[in-house]
Amino acid sequence: MSAPTAPTEGRAPDAPPQGTKKSRPTRLPKTPLSAIQRRRSLTGWAFIVPAAFIIVLVNFWPMFEALLLSFQTGRGTQLSWADPLLLNYQRLFQDETFRLTLATTFIYLIIQVPIMLVLAMVLANLLNAPWLKYKGFWRTAIFLPCAVGLVSYSLVFRQMFATDGLANDLLINFGILDDPVNWLGQTGTARMVIILGLLWRWTGYNMIFFLAALQNIDRSTLEAARVDGANGFKTFWYVTMPQLKPIILLCAILSTNGTLQMFDESYNLTNGGPGNTTMTVSHYLYNVSFRNSPNFGYAAAISYAILIIVAVLAAIQMKVGDKRD
Amino acid sequence: MTRTTLRRIPAYVFLSVAVVLSVFPLYFMAVSATNTSNDVVASKLLPGGHLVENFQTLVSSQPLWSASYHSAVNAIATTVLALILCSIAGYAFEIYHSRAKDSVMAFLLLAIMIPFAATMIPLFRLFADLGMVNSTLAVILPLVATPFLILLFRQASRSFPHEIIEAARLDGLGEVSIFARIYLPTMKPTLAAAGVITFLFSWNNFLWPKVILVDNAYQTLPMLLSNMRAGYVTDYGSLMLAVLIVSVPTMVVFLALQRHFAEGVTGAIK
Amino acid sequence: MKKTRTLGALGAVLSLSLALAACSGGDDDAASGDGASGSGEGGDNTLTVWAWDPAFNIYALEEAEKVFQADNPDFKLEIVETPWDDVQTKLTTLAQSGETDQLPDIFLMQNNAFQKNVINYPDIFADFADSDVDFSEFPESVVAYSTYEDVNYGVPFDNGTAIGAYRTDILEQAGYTVDDFTDITWDEFLTIGKDVLAKTGKPMLTGQAGSADTIMMMLQSAGASLFDDEGKPTITDNEALLAAIDMYGQMVDAGIYVEVNSWDEYINTIVNSNTAAVVNGIWISGSIQSAPDQSGKWAVTNVPKLDGVDGATNYTANGGSSWAITPNGNEALASDFLNATFAGSTDFYDTILPKSGALANWLPAGESDVYNEPQEFYGGQAIYADVLKFAAEVPSNNTGAYYYEGRDAVSVAITNIMNGTDPAAALEEAQQTVEFAMG
Repeated sequence: MSAPTAPTEGRAPDAPPQGTKKSRPTRLPKTPLSAIQRRRSLTGWAFIVPAAFIIVLVNFWPMFEALLLSFQTGRGTQLSWADPLLLNYQRLFQDETFRLTLATTFIYLIIQVPIMLVLAMVLANLLNAPWLKYKGFWRTAIFLPCAVGLVSYSLVFRQMFATDGLANDLLINFGILDDPVNWLGQTGTARMVIILGLLWRWTGYNMIFFLAALQNIDRSTLEAARVDGANGFKTFWYVTMPQLKPIILLCAILSTNGTLQMFDESYNLTNGGPGNTTMTVSHYLYNVSFRNSPNFGYAAAISYAILIIVAVLAAIQMKVGDKRD
Repeated sequence: MTRTTLRRIPAYVFLSVAVVLSVFPLYFMAVSATNTSNDVVASKLLPGGHLVENFQTLVSSQPLWSASYHSAVNAIATTVLALILCSIAGYAFEIYHSRAKDSVMAFLLLAIMIPFAATMIPLFRLFADLGMVNSTLAVILPLVATPFLILLFRQASRSFPHEIIEAARLDGLGEVSIFARIYLPTMKPTLAAAGVITFLFSWNNFLWPKVILVDNAYQTLPMLLSNMRAGYVTDYGSLMLAVLIVSVPTMVVFLALQRHFAEGVTGAIK
Repeated sequence: MKKTRTLGALGAVLSLSLALAACSGGDDDAASGDGASGSGEGGDNTLTVWAWDPAFNIYALEEAEKVFQADNPDFKLEIVETPWDDVQTKLTTLAQSGETDQLPDIFLMQNNAFQKNVINYPDIFADFADSDVDFSEFPESVVAYSTYEDVNYGVPFDNGTAIGAYRTDILEQAGYTVDDFTDITWDEFLTIGKDVLAKTGKPMLTGQAGSADTIMMMLQSAGASLFDDEGKPTITDNEALLAAIDMYGQMVDAGIYVEVNSWDEYINTIVNSNTAAVVNGIWISGSIQSAPDQSGKWAVTNVPKLDGVDGATNYTANGGSSWAITPNGNEALASDFLNATFAGSTDFYDTILPKSGALANWLPAGESDVYNEPQEFYGGQAIYADVLKFAAEVPSNNTGAYYYEGRDAVSVAITNIMNGTDPAAALEEAQQTVEFAMG
């Protein structure tokens, strides 16, 4: 699981940004389709089918099987239909570990995603400043963590935050701390280390998207604001931000999705400890399937719970994103 | 003049801090590759003289060349296929736009929300039934068509002038030719962006190849890293060297394409 | 006309993409017919094995292959290096999807996971009923891991017998010798440990926080486990568990047991002389010996025992693994191979011990000269012969299908107890967690 597969798994973008539709030229004629149009439409479908077929085959078909599985109970291969059929879903509500891991995941989500997006936005704005020198260097350096192998990342983070590690040494030398902190041994600080890890790995990735959007902003609108006497911050807030909304929404949805499916950090940095308090839902899902006595019916139910939560949050974000129009 | 310069200092300081934090683990990785195992565990931050030794240990204990070859084949095949399949689909969703196609797109996007741990076993059964265990095709297929890439190309297509298409049609060009000869050459930045992202994920893909490649002869670099940590005694020096070697290609790909990468993302989010 | 051209072109794109895939997959398809995938197609004399650790298990396999080739020149092993986590993931995937023909002929399995897999996936195991393997030549406690309902499913290999390894130079500073730690109780260990800490500033032990290793070793030393004979969890009202947790807490509070956060840090405390002793499976010796400057400064003895607990002994184990065979048509050859090597060749064990430190579980191996050779690193002590003597004394430990659930729940309980939760309440919660997982 350390590098969960598809681009869809990490923080790859997701639903289409809203509000772009109005720019689309209307090509839907009200009159009946001519033969040429019908043929073109068919060509269009033919272009779509290969990719769509593969997506259905490798995503939806297995997920459909998982749905059937979620109505079954038993260990290993000894599965039978659950009675009642929703038994596994009922189990979710009594499962203390599921509740704990879900709460932990939401803590990561609520703290890490906003910090990351704000940080990425600040960095993107700095990199977009016309006076900045060596832009390529800054951009590359900040993006690079994304390309670093998970092994070195987890090893470095664990050692930096070891009780006799670099983080403690520095903080003590600067007089911020008196005694070394057992970062990974306490719930609060261990969660903080995971959040730092996520920030480290993904801020640069989001920054690239923001930077691209910033470079796309109509310069004349900024000039107009300046002529009207708006200061830097006001210009940013009232002129730049609204134009960035689609990309912010996109990144927010992606990051939400990525955080809810997060496995690597939980597994490699803390292995869920101390006392399961840094474990994510996806890590728990993995344990139920592959570490514990395998209960695939229940694991499938957990995966549907994740799916539903992601979908609901994405819907809420799109709705909120729309309202601010 | 001095006032503006002064105002810029915090920005440079902030960026410098961000860069130091970003690059530090990379530095540690590079330095560790030259140190002994015990020095790595003790977080030694200065370069040592054990690079050659670590390399010899690595090459003698793990099939570095064969794993590099398989990783490269998988990542390149995935990237090429993904670019073809997703660009043509994204193009079609926009250029031959219809309400039905919009619905299909929305439906496909749902795939992003599916946790992989839940689909792995049905997926394995599927490929096993097709007799595709140990095949490269089985490794790359789950990565070659992703809703995200299709979306990227669809959004990028929005800025493609339709008049050109109409003109080409009048000139008697077929629909595929229009796509391949007229549209694709203008999409270099988007292709670069999609290529970087796909290569990155394919190169680091671990769990699925591990499961579908039952035979060791096809093992990839991430599997090699995992093998190196499985023993009672881990040689962290050569492990870090291996991590460094594994990380270099993704960095090179990004560095080579980064100008286009940013443009490509820009094109997609207009 | 145009339509056909469009479709033709589209077909070309599709076949291009397939050709690309096929081209890159070409050599793979050809090679997968070699039988390397474990279906035994590669001829009757080739066995496929999944194992991890080139310096240890895989090295042993290669030597075993040579030994077996002496009588069977055509014999070949196809070793697939697979870390334990991945062995488990692959076995689960294959068993769950019913693709058991992709299994290897032999695989290595952690002893702790053996019963879980036999109970859940009986289809992936072949038993040793028709083989000549004499299981009485292995310690009973080790054979018990891979025995389910009186049927043997595994040939024990990697020895998990626990040792107490002590830094003689540090003990000397405090005025002790390793004899002061032989056949003692944990209470005595605590008392001496405080003295050593006061005099040298070094803790006696280190360990990973949130890992139940030390507790589980204490538990097994008294023949206790987290489950009763019927497999029901016995985390509450478990005298040995309470005593173990209490002792663990006392040692941590006294500062003679220092908790670190990761395996790397734990190894670091050993190689950097930040601990006076190590209590763990004999395999930890590989890590101990990775610090050449400590040569001659270590000695090995048995482990302390719990006070006032029925059945307490000075012997226990941590980890270890065994070979399993699969019902893939090559069972006879696979069991012959294991019987002639891992369960029957003194020469074989004599070869692998000096080079890899891979210690036999097979008791007759202990009589050979190689096992009785003094080890320079351990101040001339013949530690391997000693450890095999310990091995015979280790009490059995009931693992069952829910070992990992039990162990993880106890780990959580220990963490909570260390943070001030009442032990009884924490264990009650652990019991409920396991009962829920089993429900």
